[in-house]
Amino acid sequence: MNSTVSAAASTLEPLFVALSYGLDTLTRAFYAVPGSAVVARYVKSSHQNDPGRTVLELVLFLFAVATLLQGRRRTDSSAKHFIKFSDKEIDELVEDWRPEPLMEPLQPEEEVELAKIPVISGPTGVRPTLVTGQQVVNLASFNFVGLVGNEHIKTRSVETLRKYGLGSCGPPGFYGTIDVHVDLERDISSFLGTESTIIYSQAFATGSSVIPAFCKKGDVIVADAGVGFGIRKGIQNSRSTVRYYRHNDMQHLEEVLHSMDRERRKKRAPLTRRFIITEAIFDHDGTIADLPRIVELKKKYKHRLILDETTSFGSLGKHGRGLTEHHGVPVTDVDILYGSLAHGLSAAGGFCSGSNVMVEHQRINSSSVVFSAAMPPLLAVCGSEGINILRNDASIIPRLQTNVRAARTVLEKTQGIEIPSDYQSPVIHICLRPRSGAATLAPPEQQSYFFAEKQPAATLHYAREERVLQQIVDEALRGGVLITRAHRLKGQENPEPRPSIRLAITGAMSVKETEDAVRVVREAIDRVLTAEAQA
Amino acid sequence: MSPPNIKLPDTLHSINPQIMRRGRSASIVKVEEVGENANEELDQTASLNSEWVNYKGAWLIHPVLMLMGKVFIDTVPGVNQELSWTIVNLCYLTFSYIMFHYVTGIPFGTEINGVYDDLTMWEQIDSGAQYTPAKKWLFCMPIGLFLLSTHFTRYDPILFGINFTALVVLGVLPKLPQLHRQRIRLMPEEDFSSAPTPIGPPTPKAYD
Repeated sequence: MNSTVSAAASTLEPLFVALSYGLDTLTRAFYAVPGSAVVARYVKSSHQNDPGRTVLELVLFLFAVATLLQGRRRTDSSAKHFIKFSDKEIDELVEDWRPEPLMEPLQPEEEVELAKIPVISGPTGVRPTLVTGQQVVNLASFNFVGLVGNEHIKTRSVETLRKYGLGSCGPPGFYGTIDVHVDLERDISSFLGTESTIIYSQAFATGSSVIPAFCKKGDVIVADAGVGFGIRKGIQNSRSTVRYYRHNDMQHLEEVLHSMDRERRKKRAPLTRRFIITEAIFDHDGTIADLPRIVELKKKYKHRLILDETTSFGSLGKHGRGLTEHHGVPVTDVDILYGSLAHGLSAAGGFCSGSNVMVEHQRINSSSVVFSAAMPPLLAVCGSEGINILRNDASIIPRLQTNVRAARTVLEKTQGIEIPSDYQSPVIHICLRPRSGAATLAPPEQQSYFFAEKQPAATLHYAREERVLQQIVDEALRGGVLITRAHRLKGQENPEPRPSIRLAITGAMSVKETEDAVRVVREAIDRVLTAEAQA
Repeated sequence: MSPPNIKLPDTLHSINPQIMRRGRSASIVKVEEVGENANEELDQTASLNSEWVNYKGAWLIHPVLMLMGKVFIDTVPGVNQELSWTIVNLCYLTFSYIMFHYVTGIPFGTEINGVYDDLTMWEQIDSGAQYTPAKKWLFCMPIGLFLLSTHFTRYDPILFGINFTALVVLGVLPKLPQLHRQRIRLMPEEDFSSAPTPIGPPTPKAYD
């Protein structure tokens, strides 16, 4: 027993000797370093006869030192997407790379679509001539009161062109405002009965610029689900909280307003600005908003109303003043009214009209006013003249309305189509009735409150519908009437609206001409749909 | 280009008051990650708020404030060394916790699109990079203070425990890179019904 222990001890003895020698050397080296005595004293006094604490402190100290010695890491975003390639892989990738062409070659259906666009030779109007030589009746362009090609307006424009030149040389706030712009603003205000107006140089940019000027992050917007692309972009830019209500469903609007109010009260959130946004005549389907009810609700729940009168200014109401005149609602009830001069008046640009304070705010805070060039003066004069004509000629809108009624009567009996547009809307959208068995429309309980159904099945049906509608358009063109499908930004409108043919009735034609033209359209629809049904 | 596949949130439940109900989740503690906002890739301005931590003055202010605090508390009669160091320690940890780990977002301006609304100052420093000089300094500060305090006093176990726990919970744990962008929720509520704002599809990038 003793011998084994001593044997073990003797084998391990060199090891112990080495260890003690090493420790000795370390200690001597440690005390040789200047200041080591301080550290030794510090550690000894920190120890305080409590090894547990010392261990903890030591652990902390080592952890801190380890942290200090770590190298700097990359930032969040670059770390997440960073892939480390080896040199060989990098070389391979460089070898394989082929630059993309500036423009992708067209798909066959895109080529077909491009070829089918009719080209008008000369100025557009009620009866334009195509480059093929055929003269057609134009039910595609917006020309509600027949101001396109108006001789008086043309003369005045040429005068203005000679006086001021073409461009306005700058944004409205900086050198670009000319007296004709101020006159146009005054004309619109007096026409509508509002305090003042501001002009925008592009109609489509009006909505997406007015909305972010007033709606900021933290504000609440309640918008109709059927609003168009410009408004949606404006809402997206504004970063406000948005809730959509079912298209033109006043009951649902009230529910949404009520629930948002309750939510805010429950959270005891601070009061922010609240808006209701709707269009007068909806661009997607031609329905007309129920303005009296909306005004009633807005007063009850204390929201501000933003009304987009793009298609309705110059086409609704006794004199063309828009939805307010149409429904008999005082224009002061609409807090922010904006519209387009390009659709109804065939001039260019847009406007926003209302109280002085509201309009003056936009002169500095609306991005389109500050950063875009002002409207060319000759187009401002076109606008002013258009308003004069609307004001003085009392028969112009009734003519339009008669034509609209005539067109709707002709289209009433057509099989296989649905017309979602309001009976008084001069913009008529013709959609295909979904085939029985092919359920394009989900049952109302399942329908989300966007007015188109869920995406994947829809896109399949939409492709087929678009094809059929294009055939109808071609057929009608053969019959001498120029109509068009409603063109959308594919893949960017959320949700995708149903494909439709958009008719824009004009008051410049006589009733009989309108009826004849729409009859041609109806016959085209019948022919194409029967051919489809047989196929 | 094929149209993006957009899944719209089902917001029916948020409107109907009968359906809207908040349940309790099964777990007592839940660790949630603060996700990356869609705008964060586009937005470059977090550093505007957190640049100042890199200045040497901001580094120096920590020991200066600690010293001033210690001196001030020492002037109060009837405060012994243990209590004084404990108070300095706890105050430093509390204030630095509130400043760096509790308050979220950016204090000035609403021009920035609310990208950093859920991020604490610590997570905004250097755009989320870890082990940067500023972070290393701020990391060592509370540890250094604690070690100093244990050196100069004779803590009884309770005070030591308080100091040490406070250091770990308020000083060290929130600063760990493992807990970057993580939030610990006690007794969390399951949130079914908050309907997010339906945001439209982003405008497609030019090089998609």
